[in-house]
Amino acid sequence: MRVVIAEDLALLRAGIVALLREHDIDVVAQAEDAEGFLRVVGGHKPDLAIVDVRLPPAFTDEGLRAAIEARRRQPGLGVLILSQYVEPVYTSELLASGEGGVGYLLKERVGDVRGFLDAIERVAAGGTALDREVVAELVRERDGGGILAELTPREREVLELMAEGRTNAAIARAMVVKPGAVEKHVSSIFSKLDLPASDDDHRRVLAVLAFLRSA
Amino acid sequence: MATVTADHTATTHGEAAAAASPRSALALHVALAALAGFVNTSIWGLTGGGYFWPVWVWIGLALSVALHAVIRRALRAPAGPRRAFEAHAGGSAILSGLLVMLWALTGSPTFWPIWALLVLAAALAVHALLIAQGWIAPGRERELAERVDELTRTRRGALDVQATELRRIERDLHDGAQARLVALTMQLGRAEEKLADRPEIAQLVRSARVEAGSAIAELRDLARGIAPPVLADRGLTAAVESLGKRSAIPVEVDVDVDRRPPPVVETAAYFVVAETLTNAAKHAGGAPARVWARAGDDELVLEVSDGGKGGADPHGGGLTGLRHRVEALDGKLTVTSPPGGGTLVRAELPCGS
Repeated sequence: MRVVIAEDLALLRAGIVALLREHDIDVVAQAEDAEGFLRVVGGHKPDLAIVDVRLPPAFTDEGLRAAIEARRRQPGLGVLILSQYVEPVYTSELLASGEGGVGYLLKERVGDVRGFLDAIERVAAGGTALDREVVAELVRERDGGGILAELTPREREVLELMAEGRTNAAIARAMVVKPGAVEKHVSSIFSKLDLPASDDDHRRVLAVLAFLRSA
Repeated sequence: MATVTADHTATTHGEAAAAASPRSALALHVALAALAGFVNTSIWGLTGGGYFWPVWVWIGLALSVALHAVIRRALRAPAGPRRAFEAHAGGSAILSGLLVMLWALTGSPTFWPIWALLVLAAALAVHALLIAQGWIAPGRERELAERVDELTRTRRGALDVQATELRRIERDLHDGAQARLVALTMQLGRAEEKLADRPEIAQLVRSARVEAGSAIAELRDLARGIAPPVLADRGLTAAVESLGKRSAIPVEVDVDVDRRPPPVVETAAYFVVAETLTNAAKHAGGAPARVWARAGDDELVLEVSDGGKGGADPHGGGLTGLRHRVEALDGKLTVTSPPGGGTLVRAELPCGS
């Protein structure tokens, strides 16, 4: 897997690079700002870009904008955003930015090495990896008596784990139930939300999120 | 300032104490003058008439009464240029009257007082103009006006600095303490991995990482509380949309703010919306809320309304805090919350420079 990283703080960039290289992930280029990032993406055609939201020169949301622009230039590019804060507006923009895997994680999740590597794998493969705080925000957004109110607490839990990008098997492990129980919950969620079921986990997640965004 | 206030109080009291006596003093003066004039005229009549000399007595008496009246009037005006003008006008009037009377008594064919009258009138007109143009402002008033200007300017300056400083602190936290803690969790995570064969130590490292994660989360909440990143990055419209998305109740957002107001106004507006939506989520029983905002050239107006049960206490802690924030910017916060009729919070924030 070929990865580029855009992160302006050398300390963090070095940490992520070291972590990825220890796990045989090929970091082909690093960038410190949005312009440099777009250049290395253009030059290296990576599978995945790991991008900090806040980059020089203005230190606002250049990283996010650059990542969306990179996806426009290279459709299908997986983008994993790392940030020190959760921002629903940014998540929605990222999710709406076209084809390919997307992820939005709080930076400290990198400390959970296994989970971070899983997220990288999922996003590179075209799936999603949303921080549980991101999911909580997106779900809470519809909490006020909307259609999500019809879900049971158990189903809500399943939906949140699904939105993080987990498979049914992973959800079953996380909830300590049998995979069959999860499948039942999932089909119940889809019927309540009036979404056609599909075999593809990632498409299901995207469908759920599309519903969350548009409701 | 203290001396000015003391001065002012003293003047007011002095005027109040003297208010009753000057009126009666003037009345007494008029009565005595009339009596003296009558006595003189009677003496003239009893002594067989002839040249009507009491006219000079009458003129003298009238002059003393006129002077008395003018002085009294001038003293009632506030000290300073206004009193000087009153004295000037009164003096001119007396002098004019005297000249005209002299002319009448001497029976001159030419109306010679005209020149003196013109000069007096011109001088008075110039004086009036100087006051009207503010070239001679009343001392205390001018001092206070300048002080108000200065305080308004410096207060706004202090608030601008504060808003900018808060954003800088947020950025320093982001690039400093938060980043270091993130780097720490990464290193702890890597250490934990390498300790797979020493599970008890790995567990220690893991709990250290979880602690660091909590510290990061607390710093994140703190940073958002002082200067929400999305507000600095994208401005009020995006920040209000973000608040709407985060809110526990459905929020309709209708915000049209093209040009970004100064950071201090933007931040105040943001916190008005944030606090009001929090209140609505707490008290409006899940009823949807609406945020509306428009920015003109020199004012930002925003309204947050909900369809809840109303009856909000406009003097409650949260709303009072918001009112202070808005009023510090010379803005206005109004709360309309009739029982059963929902709650409307409206903030008008001047945003001209």
